[in-house]
Amino acid sequence: MTVEPIENYALKTRVRKKGGLQKVGLVGCGNMGQEIAHLVARNGINVEFIDLSDERIAEVFIELNQKLDDIIGKWGLTESEKKAILSRIHGSTDYSSVSDCDIVIETINNRKPGTSLEIRKEVFRKVEAVVREDTVIASNTSTLIISELASVLKHPERAVGLHFLPSAISGGVVEVVRGLHTNQASVEFVEKFARTIGKKVITLFESPGNISTRLIVVLINEACETLMEGVASASNIDATMKLGFGLQFGPLEMADRIGLDKVIKWMNNLYQEFGERKFKPNPILKRLYRLGFHGRRTGRGFYIYEKGKRVGETITCPEVFIH
Amino acid sequence: MKVIVMNCGSSSIKYQLFDMEREQVLARGSVEKIGLHGSFLINRRNDGDEVKLEGEVYDHQQGIEYILGVLVSEKHGSLKSFDEIGAVGHRVVHGGEKFKESVLITGEVLDQIREVIDLAPLHNPPNLKGIEAMQEMLPDVPQVAVFDTAFHQTIPPHAYTYAIPYTLYKKYGIRRYGFHGTSHRYVSKQACEYLGCHFEGMKVITCHLGNGASMAAIRDGKSIDTSMGLTPVEGLIMGTRTGDLDLGVLTYIVQKEELTLNAANTLINKFSGMLGISGVSSDMRDIEQAAAEGNERAQLALEAYAYRIKKYIGAYSAALGGVNVLVFTGGIGENDVNVRANSCDGLEFLGIRIDPEKNREIKGGKKGLISAEDSAVKVVVMPTNEELVIAQDTMEIVGRMKNKTVGS
Repeated sequence: MTVEPIENYALKTRVRKKGGLQKVGLVGCGNMGQEIAHLVARNGINVEFIDLSDERIAEVFIELNQKLDDIIGKWGLTESEKKAILSRIHGSTDYSSVSDCDIVIETINNRKPGTSLEIRKEVFRKVEAVVREDTVIASNTSTLIISELASVLKHPERAVGLHFLPSAISGGVVEVVRGLHTNQASVEFVEKFARTIGKKVITLFESPGNISTRLIVVLINEACETLMEGVASASNIDATMKLGFGLQFGPLEMADRIGLDKVIKWMNNLYQEFGERKFKPNPILKRLYRLGFHGRRTGRGFYIYEKGKRVGETITCPEVFIH
Repeated sequence: MKVIVMNCGSSSIKYQLFDMEREQVLARGSVEKIGLHGSFLINRRNDGDEVKLEGEVYDHQQGIEYILGVLVSEKHGSLKSFDEIGAVGHRVVHGGEKFKESVLITGEVLDQIREVIDLAPLHNPPNLKGIEAMQEMLPDVPQVAVFDTAFHQTIPPHAYTYAIPYTLYKKYGIRRYGFHGTSHRYVSKQACEYLGCHFEGMKVITCHLGNGASMAAIRDGKSIDTSMGLTPVEGLIMGTRTGDLDLGVLTYIVQKEELTLNAANTLINKFSGMLGISGVSSDMRDIEQAAAEGNERAQLALEAYAYRIKKYIGAYSAALGGVNVLVFTGGIGENDVNVRANSCDGLEFLGIRIDPEKNREIKGGKKGLISAEDSAVKVVVMPTNEELVIAQDTMEIVGRMKNKTVGS
């Protein structure tokens, strides 16, 4: 069969405006980055991610493989769909590989204590240096202010917050955050992108913690307070909230899933921003964190996990009798 | 007159160009991977000319632009100019309760197709995109929509109503719609013509056995029942779909395996059916090979597959009050000698008797009678041709429209 370029058969000579979304860039491919990569690739869009080293990139593919196999084990995906997803994801250590992306999302995963503001600014700067003038640059942060990240850009109007909630794959919603300088075209582009990958879009004006983080950390913190006072065990607090209010997970179980290190970082950022006591991490949260009990990922948080299954509680709750 | 038939999927467009004077295909092809990396178009002309066009195709409109481009090109084309195109026929998957037959597409029709998007969220939106793009490219050419569900709109309420709270039918239109209507209509009519009998007065059961599979009970040329339902997952066992299933099974699995809605959907649509039982493949040829080599689950899958068809033949014979003609079509129905023999095995009491010799002979796109001389029921293999039906419907509707214009 002869092969020819398709452009020779165009009916109109005018150059068509590029309508579709062809390629998405991700900077940082930790847990959340991988979930976003999977989600985007599953919707037929190519993903180019940047990470620190070739070794790390190889690790990312091992982790992605494992995650997709887990989903196959739960009947959520077929082998051929997995192959198609993986074929659309590429990794690189070189920023120039995202130069032709339509949108680049910063999803760095900084587990070190303290704010990641400067690191994220650096990412924004490096991305802008290689991409087209109309490429949207987004950040997955929820507690840092998008305008502040955008301040390092020559074109701050293209910066948008795009916050995927944990879990990015099964969660039905994303928060699209408009900064001080963000223009309408960028917001609309990101809204369209989020809808393409099957999410309900909540667009909001920038505020630390958006809606999701601001509300969930307060619930987690109050659950810690309740646990600390000896009112009830972790599993009973969770069961009450889960069954009583129809939540998918109880607040402490949720904290273990998010990662206590992340919860503390969010709270510190919000405390710094609002100065309100309700955002000050509870001592139990800090104690567990210092012990290295960061939740599911480390095998221990409020609960003890073995092979991904919950097998016990870390904190035994003494019954408080007053005689 | 020349007619283009379009079948737009989420990321592909299949097309055929018909010369309706001779009912001949002049060119056929497809655009694949629309909006994705590595998109291409393949065009095959009836004189053997084949070309693959590679490059970016961002959306359906651009895909259609290239299809038209190649059809009028000097090198690989089949048309001198677009003026030769008399009409365009579109396959539309779901017509809901609104469309009982093929229709000329107007603004109102488009609105009505949009209204039933919820019933076929994967199929109707790309069908619509194809129509809109064609309208923009060829604004003066009449366009016709042919629905997969339309032929089954004659099914009576007692056969289409599910025994769920009636308010849910009223609220969401949840009922049996059925699919493959174009194919059931075509092969039942063709089979009667082939047998030299009138469509009227005939009791016909059709088995469309392809990757998706469904059966229909047809009396006097009208569908009175079909095995697929609100969605194409009900009825026969298919390549990867369950077909009929105790609903309790699904809620039990969801609870035991802690499945999400999406996973439950994938489970019944992609991991079940012949693939699920055999563990070998969803392809009948692989399963038959494994069964021949002694794979017990493959053998079980084949038995279950034929048994389900046999059950429906019995059920539809009862629904019709007898049966005159049984038709096999679709990739498996047209080629699989064993499936046909096993589905009819033991149905002599209904007057169905297969001639093993004739059954072995009819395959590879051939039509023919496979029942024995003394079989009261005529069993026919009839290759389906949905594209031709779409082209014929399109011609007929456009013809009617022209007559009206002349008459007025």
